[in-house]
Amino acid sequence: MSEIEVRHLSKTFTQKDLKVDALSDININIEKGDIYGIIGMSGAGKSTLVRCLNYLERPTDGQVIVRGQEMGALSEKELRQARMKIAMIFQSFNLLQQKNAVENISFPLRIQGTPKKEAKARAKELLRTVGLSDKAKSYPSQLSGGQQQRVAIARALACDPDILLCDEATSALDPQTTDQILDLIKEINESLHLTIVIITHQMSVIQKICNRVAIIENGHLVEEGRVEDIFNHPKSRAARELIFREVHGDPPTLQSPIDEITEGTKIRIVFTANSAFEPVVSNMILKFGQPVNILRANTRNVGGVAKGDMILQLPVDRETRLQMEDYLKERGLEVEEVTT
Amino acid sequence: MDMKTIQLLANGLLETVYMTLVSTALGYLIGLPVGILLTVTDKEGIRPNAFIYRILDVIINIMRSIPFLILLILLIPFTRFLVGKSYGTTATIVPLVVSAAPYIARMVESSLKEVDAGVIEAARSMGASNLTIVFRVLLVEAKTSLITGATITLGTILGYSAMAGTVAGGGLGDIAIQYGYYRWQTDIMLITVALLVILFQIFQMIGMKIASALDHRK
Repeated sequence: MSEIEVRHLSKTFTQKDLKVDALSDININIEKGDIYGIIGMSGAGKSTLVRCLNYLERPTDGQVIVRGQEMGALSEKELRQARMKIAMIFQSFNLLQQKNAVENISFPLRIQGTPKKEAKARAKELLRTVGLSDKAKSYPSQLSGGQQQRVAIARALACDPDILLCDEATSALDPQTTDQILDLIKEINESLHLTIVIITHQMSVIQKICNRVAIIENGHLVEEGRVEDIFNHPKSRAARELIFREVHGDPPTLQSPIDEITEGTKIRIVFTANSAFEPVVSNMILKFGQPVNILRANTRNVGGVAKGDMILQLPVDRETRLQMEDYLKERGLEVEEVTT
Repeated sequence: MDMKTIQLLANGLLETVYMTLVSTALGYLIGLPVGILLTVTDKEGIRPNAFIYRILDVIINIMRSIPFLILLILLIPFTRFLVGKSYGTTATIVPLVVSAAPYIARMVESSLKEVDAGVIEAARSMGASNLTIVFRVLLVEAKTSLITGATITLGTILGYSAMAGTVAGGGLGDIAIQYGYYRWQTDIMLITVALLVILFQIFQMIGMKIASALDHRK
């Protein structure tokens, strides 16, 4: 049994006489312990999708089954009960501005009727978990964005949820804080065996912590699978765009610079298991004595392993090119031709 | 100034304070729930209900469009029925409340609508019921704005209470009209005006102090 099962889910918004299909026939399975990414450009429908998971939005069609329970079949009261085990964090943190950190974290417990003292003790414990013990009495306005999101995460964990939904949780944060929050989410996933669903428009977020990803475009699910597979061999146009944009800046720049160089074949290589210390490209150039043009590169050293990708322009000569591709493949790199 | 005049003014001051505070309090007794209902049933609210919203909206608009002086006279039979007489401070409270309640309802509505929709959504995602959202999110998050609104209301009611002096409503307004206008005793009128100004300042100052002391958004 999947933790979350989405079957033929559709959502149509009706405004006056205008019908907008926000989501059409979405099918996904999220297993227990997954960190499941849902990625798409803004307006793709991903925020609507995540709100259908806890029925903040009621789907027009289809089913959402959470831990074997069909959400659509629940009464209003049962639904509220179910939501207590499906926590959610948001892009704008959404903390109560007039309550301090401890009161904010206690809030979900208090509305369930937990005695004040008990709720407060639990809140303090959670503040420790998120590394903010010294901010118990601070109000949201006195906290930085990253700290506010930590309080929000602590609040989300207050009721021992089974699932944590993250709606663009790091989109309002700087890259460094984003990394810290993602580390925290990963830590929670491992220590509490929580199933996590992450909505984002950033491929880097998916790459960093997700094990599976669904790509949503114009309300349709265009690609779904393991993050590595999709990053290494993106099939859909949307996936390619998301990956390339992430690596090389804005989407419009994707076409132009590549197109300027018309000679030779362009390939994209993806570093997977290579040692970060092996100068693969340099060695290849030395070996073949032929120049190679690096059009773009985005690699990072993650724990001694090179992660990321490059776009190379290889010599026109077909023979050399094929040999080079084989050379790269032998070294464990993923190679694919770029056809734009 | 003789003792009698001082006694008269002190009495008028007390009457004014009494009318203003009691009317505002009773006004909130009606206006606060109506304001909450308006916020909740609005199409962007947590439980939209076009029917209820429309009805309240129309009633409030009608009541708010009647000038207070005319309301004062229109309500005389009603006041007499309720209080037994149509003059004096207690009687004045009736039209004051009738006029304050819709005003307060609008004030409350606008305060509650300032509450960030994201915070309400977060509460819903935690399994909060609508009642919980009203009492533990809306009213708590909007408290500064609500208190500011109450301060403004208090000032308005203070002004109205003075207006009630024209129909023997008691209080400082009554004294100003009786002595200052009908008897040409400008000095007494000026003193009542000064007292009203001071009273207004005190209300305003206390209200704003409380509002800012309770505000944690700084």
